[in-house]
Amino acid sequence: MIEYKKLTLDNGMTVMLHRDRVSEMAAVNVLYRVGARNENPLRTGFAHLFEHLMFRGTRRVPDFDSPVQLACGENNAFTTNDYTDFYIALPKDNIETALWLEADRVNGLNINFKSLEAEKKVVIEEFNQCYLNQPYGDQWMLLRDMAYKVHPYRWATIGATPDHIRDATAPEVKAFYKRYYQPCNAILSLAAGLDYDRMARLAEKWFGGIPSAPRAEDVLPAEPAQNEARRVEVERRVPSNAITIAFRMGPRAGRQFYICDLASDILAGGNSGRLYQRLVKDKRLFSSVNAYMTGELDPGLFVVTGHLLPETAVEQGERALWSELEALNSEPPSDYDMEKVKNKFEANTIFGELNVMNKAMNMGFYEMLGKAELINTEVDIYRSITREEVVATARELFDPRSSSTLIYHAI
Amino acid sequence: MPEMLTTQTAVGARLHTLPVEGDVCRVSFVFRAGTAAQSIPFSASATANLLGEGSRDMSSKEISDRLDFYGSYFGVEIDRDWSVVTFCMLRKFFAPTMDIARRMLIEPVFSEKELATYAAKRKQSLIIERSKPAFKARELFAASLFGPHHPYGVSSGPELYDALAREQIVDFYDRFYLASNCFVVASGAIGEAEQTIIEQTVSGLPVRPAAEPETVEVTDSQRYGFALHEGAVQSALRIGRVLFPRNHPDFVPMQIVATTLGGYFSSRLVKNLREKRGYTYGAYAAMVNMQQAGYLAISTEVASAATDDAIAQIVIETERLRQEKVRSKELQTVKNIMVGEVLRIIDGPFGVADVAIESIQCGEPWDYLTSIVERIRSFTADELLATAQKYLLPERFTIIAVAAEKPKIFD
Repeated sequence: MIEYKKLTLDNGMTVMLHRDRVSEMAAVNVLYRVGARNENPLRTGFAHLFEHLMFRGTRRVPDFDSPVQLACGENNAFTTNDYTDFYIALPKDNIETALWLEADRVNGLNINFKSLEAEKKVVIEEFNQCYLNQPYGDQWMLLRDMAYKVHPYRWATIGATPDHIRDATAPEVKAFYKRYYQPCNAILSLAAGLDYDRMARLAEKWFGGIPSAPRAEDVLPAEPAQNEARRVEVERRVPSNAITIAFRMGPRAGRQFYICDLASDILAGGNSGRLYQRLVKDKRLFSSVNAYMTGELDPGLFVVTGHLLPETAVEQGERALWSELEALNSEPPSDYDMEKVKNKFEANTIFGELNVMNKAMNMGFYEMLGKAELINTEVDIYRSITREEVVATARELFDPRSSSTLIYHAI
Repeated sequence: MPEMLTTQTAVGARLHTLPVEGDVCRVSFVFRAGTAAQSIPFSASATANLLGEGSRDMSSKEISDRLDFYGSYFGVEIDRDWSVVTFCMLRKFFAPTMDIARRMLIEPVFSEKELATYAAKRKQSLIIERSKPAFKARELFAASLFGPHHPYGVSSGPELYDALAREQIVDFYDRFYLASNCFVVASGAIGEAEQTIIEQTVSGLPVRPAAEPETVEVTDSQRYGFALHEGAVQSALRIGRVLFPRNHPDFVPMQIVATTLGGYFSSRLVKNLREKRGYTYGAYAAMVNMQQAGYLAISTEVASAATDDAIAQIVIETERLRQEKVRSKELQTVKNIMVGEVLRIIDGPFGVADVAIESIQCGEPWDYLTSIVERIRSFTADELLATAQKYLLPERFTIIAVAAEKPKIFD
């Protein structure tokens, strides 16, 4: 349970506040409603490249990291397909250092050709390290490209190819900044051992005077229904064959998401999940299995995946995964199973709210979904789901005609 | 900082509690039973991991099912010296979770069947890990620093999982999972009732002298190590030297040197290799502490074409630390980062336990942490220079690379 207050500054910036009665730390989180979804298809990876540039300094602050470090703080950021998040955790007495920096970040970015060129190289090395120089590193590029045909979720946040990053220009960077980095497009979240009035005054002091352009509303193409099984098989220098099957599902904030979350837990939540118990332990077909959702703003994907043991044929592994998906229907979860996955969710929620940084980040995320109250009501939603709903949703979702299968053949 | 209360349980194992307000509890059982104590490869990790795979009265499935039902989390961490078995739970499920903990710790059965499944699974994941340049580099680095047969340097191939036998696991368990070889750290919502339950849990551990891990001699480090990784787009580099463990008076000074070099986001290595040259996504330096040794580790993954220059630049940066006194602002930043890190880790009931465990392993009193913070705060630029001159001797560095091509400097 996170007690919070929400307010809106005159320039349209949303502010979320949480008073933590125990911690000596303060967390400042700024979420911008811009991610890979907002990119030009010929400049994929741009939102993420941009996140990197945000550390290259602003008009008043030539180097963004040192003031935070001098204030005993830590800052970082990440980019998803839906949003970009910047965060700073530091002792609560130093909270204004963080606010000063984040305020300058909204309207004072200073990009020059040299810093852009150097940062492009860094991002290309990140591309190499995390996606190309790793076994299965290109999994998400291949999968997104197969499961989506028109929606920008068809590329990963790192981008479709390093070439798009190489080609980015300074005018494009400036235009992107102007369009998306506006107070009305941002959510500021503060979690700290400070009282609400003080936090509200600080938010107003540092952000209230920043003018805002109107919020950019990008109209994204809706992904049409999928009516045919899709399949991609690749040969790679990977240690074992791997199967990933993705199914189209609804958006993060819909009821179906919670039903799917319980279904994925029945399949793969902890060591008692069915996939692990049956396919790894009993039948010994896989060395690892998993089921999860992308959980994105627009309709996302339900993913079932596993690495095969050397003696298992790909077809055999695939059949086994499908039979477990079908078993959600033929052997519906028991009351005990339902109680278990709901308890698990409750515990995970509490474990995820243990420090001020997590709380601030969660407030920003749920407000971005458009339903801040979900922070405290999700547990009830999970509690209200019946096993009939799980069975019906599984039947609807796990249809071969809306599946995208990716096979890695080890060579 | 929460107070730490230490009591001696009836069987002799010490119980350290760190009460933190809230709904969650964490209990870690720490055994001096790391990989350095094993004579059979993988027997230390197999023992710890198989604790959850079946006890006298509960099958592996029942254990994971019950833990999942309470939303409780169980994990093991094994390093060269220690095996740490941790349970995290909501306070309301403390007693039933600890009941399972007791069965796992006191009554494990290590069945042949579970061992076979475990070995097959782990063998496969080790094969996957070994196909990653960074993992290969870590193994090669340890072997080059300590010698390939040294307890701190040895690593074993996946095929050795096939030879792992039940008696070896039982033997390892009998020798090291003893009251005299264990201490417990409990943090979070720990009151008297919880303390009593923990005492009852450990009271089942056998009381007899534990096998003392052998004293290890540090053999000569290798100057260079190279492993070919065909088709790698990046080279994994590790540079460092064997120094001393945390109880050495120069450990904290060397931590400050390492942090200046590569311990934070705008460290010298990051500025040079990432921001200036764009060779890498990240570069790090740290002091690694073990029970009977410690070493400096510098690590990075760089673009293949930049391999030789990256090594040269790293050496140049260590030279600069030996020749130029660090400026006061930079030193202040480094100090604040190190202090801030301590503050962040102890924010929340779980992190504080990690700090406590490490401190107890090093034989330090709890308030020693405060004196480390003092030591950091009073450290001077002259001391930093002297420390760097004493230990950053380039001719003593071990340099290793996992790359598509052998670096020229190795010839």
